[in-house]
Amino acid sequence: MSKPASDPGTGGVDRELTMSRAMVDAIASEMRADDEVFYMGEDVQDYGGIFDSTEGLLEEFDRDRVMDVPISETAYVGAAVGAAQAGMRPIAEIMFADFVGVCLDQVYNQMAKNTYMSGSAVNVPMVLTTAVGGEYNDAAQHSQTLYGLFSHLPGMQVVVPSTAYDAKGLMHAAVRSDDPVVYMFHKRLMGIGWMPAPEGPKTPVPEDDYTVPIGEADVKREGGDVTVATLGLHVHRALDAADQLADDGVDVEVIDLRSLVPFDTETVLDSVEKTGRLVVVDEDYQSFGVTGEVVARVAERSPDALEAVERVAIPDVPIPYSRPLETEVNPQVEDIVAAVESVE
Amino acid sequence: MSTDVDSESVWPADADDVDEAVVANWFVREGGAVDAGDTLCEIQIEKVSVDVPAPESGTLAERTVPENGEFRRGDVLGRIETG
Amino acid sequence: MVGVNTLREMYEQMVTARRYEQRLQEEYLEGKQPAFDISAGPIPGELHLAAGHEAAAVGVCAHLDDEDTVTAPHRPHHVAIAKGVDLDRMTAEIFGRETGLCKGKGGHMHLFDPDVNFACSGIIAQGCPPAVGAAMAADKRNEDSVAVAYLGEGAVDQGAFLESLNLAAVRELPVVFVVEDNDWAISMPQDRITDVDTIAERADGFDMPGVRVDHDDAIAVYEAARDAVGRARNGNGPTLLDVQVHRRMGHFMGDAEGYRPDEDSERAQRLDAIERLADDLRDRGVDDAELQELRELAEDRVEDAIEWAKAQPEPDPADAHEDVFVDDPAAASGGDD
Repeated sequence: MSKPASDPGTGGVDRELTMSRAMVDAIASEMRADDEVFYMGEDVQDYGGIFDSTEGLLEEFDRDRVMDVPISETAYVGAAVGAAQAGMRPIAEIMFADFVGVCLDQVYNQMAKNTYMSGSAVNVPMVLTTAVGGEYNDAAQHSQTLYGLFSHLPGMQVVVPSTAYDAKGLMHAAVRSDDPVVYMFHKRLMGIGWMPAPEGPKTPVPEDDYTVPIGEADVKREGGDVTVATLGLHVHRALDAADQLADDGVDVEVIDLRSLVPFDTETVLDSVEKTGRLVVVDEDYQSFGVTGEVVARVAERSPDALEAVERVAIPDVPIPYSRPLETEVNPQVEDIVAAVESVE
Repeated sequence: MSTDVDSESVWPADADDVDEAVVANWFVREGGAVDAGDTLCEIQIEKVSVDVPAPESGTLAERTVPENGEFRRGDVLGRIETG
Repeated sequence: MVGVNTLREMYEQMVTARRYEQRLQEEYLEGKQPAFDISAGPIPGELHLAAGHEAAAVGVCAHLDDEDTVTAPHRPHHVAIAKGVDLDRMTAEIFGRETGLCKGKGGHMHLFDPDVNFACSGIIAQGCPPAVGAAMAADKRNEDSVAVAYLGEGAVDQGAFLESLNLAAVRELPVVFVVEDNDWAISMPQDRITDVDTIAERADGFDMPGVRVDHDDAIAVYEAARDAVGRARNGNGPTLLDVQVHRRMGHFMGDAEGYRPDEDSERAQRLDAIERLADDLRDRGVDDAELQELRELAEDRVEDAIEWAKAQPEPDPADAHEDVFVDDPAAASGGDD
């Protein structure tokens, strides 16, 4: 068996990987271990995924296991549901999360509900991968995260890695899960040559398999003054904000939510009970979404701990194209700094 | 003993008309151990990205071109101590 | 028989569209060297250029008036030019400027010019249903305008397209569906994803005419479109028009086309519908000097549009919060925060 191109093959933790390579590392490993695992999507064969999500897989696996499909999301996402119910472990990719609109029925009425509607008589062990996020001026139909949409509709586990280490561990966990998992990878974090990533998502990645449990948040930076809970690209922006604020003597704790469904309320609560101040940062629309949910959970469980709270998210507008307009609506490092200062 | 990681030998034929590029990603920190053939870094030549393998086993002693750094075709990207 | 003046206009539009894409490519690559960074430079984001698709745009739009509706996909510039979209304001939109067609909110995949009833969408095939709707409106109002929906051959496997064919057919609506077949759905060759010899065959199952123009020839497109648009305008229902075009550039400007055989790219360069139309014009007595003049006119027009666009102001960041609704109840009551 030839070594996949995605695997730099260095020993131990001397090797660092981009998020895309770490994700592919886990997919290749799962495909090697189990013939029932296969990947399908648009441009996943010769292109290797528009955002490198399958880069190198075709060097090791044949075209039946790394499948280009017609631009027919309803058909192939629904086919993944059917193949999963037949016992296989398909991974289906929607190129941009924004495109879920063309196949939403298969996602939220079939994939998400079949387990419950059947009283667990059937289950749907599939992974739905999709690219999310903006900050490269791709406008309203190619820049959304839609974290809240997927998480609101019951029956899907939803994970959002922000580092290569988490990307690999969450992918292993997602493929092995007996339930459907939506695996949302941020384009800006993948380490694609033509879309440079910020510092941070590239991390040491062990060669051996490991899982990051679905439903566990991760404290990416410990601090005692203010809790910033966020996910995806904005984990790195929050860490940058925390570095700046540290210079002014403000000690910020940064929680990477990492899983939205199931949601790790305890980690957020523990932090807020320590700091008393909560800022939730989200690259999704503000209303009826992740920020409100996080605040509500804390308010329900520990109202007395919550001294001050602030939400930083996309104001309720579609993502505009022009650079100054997108910068205005997508939370920047300085917006996070200002929010922390306002609760501090 | 040390060996240079050179950019000339990995330059793709269809980028013959280009002579500048960027190191998009390093995958090994300075001081990290590498085996010959391991992917050391990824270079971006216009729209094309190319993986650069380690020419020898040893330790990556130096990243001559930093991450996101520009270089010219033929420049040395790094140096491996082969001890 | 198509008149020489019409051909001359079509040629001018084709060279305008080609020049436009070449100049946009140059502007787009500003700041994106030596490594390509999609978010850098004066035009960030994806850019899908249509060099090699011009015949499908001008051959159809030559039969349309401002009242007729056109919807285009993510690769819209050539169609917009053929439909008569304001080139200055379209260019300003692509540069993200305040005076752009959409105040900088839409960008190159989301251009709207209601003055000539042009719109486009970045989600493939999703322009088809609104085109059916424009035709439905014309039908209900007993107007004789028609609607044209453009899509690529990769989009013909989408429900939105197939459902639109059926709705248009069963209601006998004045719609022409124009498939620009450039053989490639990004990296996927047509025979990998669509199991018919020609897209025109799709029409058979919907009881509508399916017409294939299997060579990238503006005159052949013009003649086929004359029948299709005429059929729609006369109340005889929709047509599927399937036009072979050639992709002379990558799917988007970051696409290195590593998956594409060299001979296929070379073939697309060789089979140039603009050169073909120039030969046709020469046969009709138009001399090289006049063709040169038309090309220079096109170059000047493009240059003027780009120069104008780049001189326009960027939008005020505060404007990002406007335009979600035309009648914003929150704004009317002073807003909620």
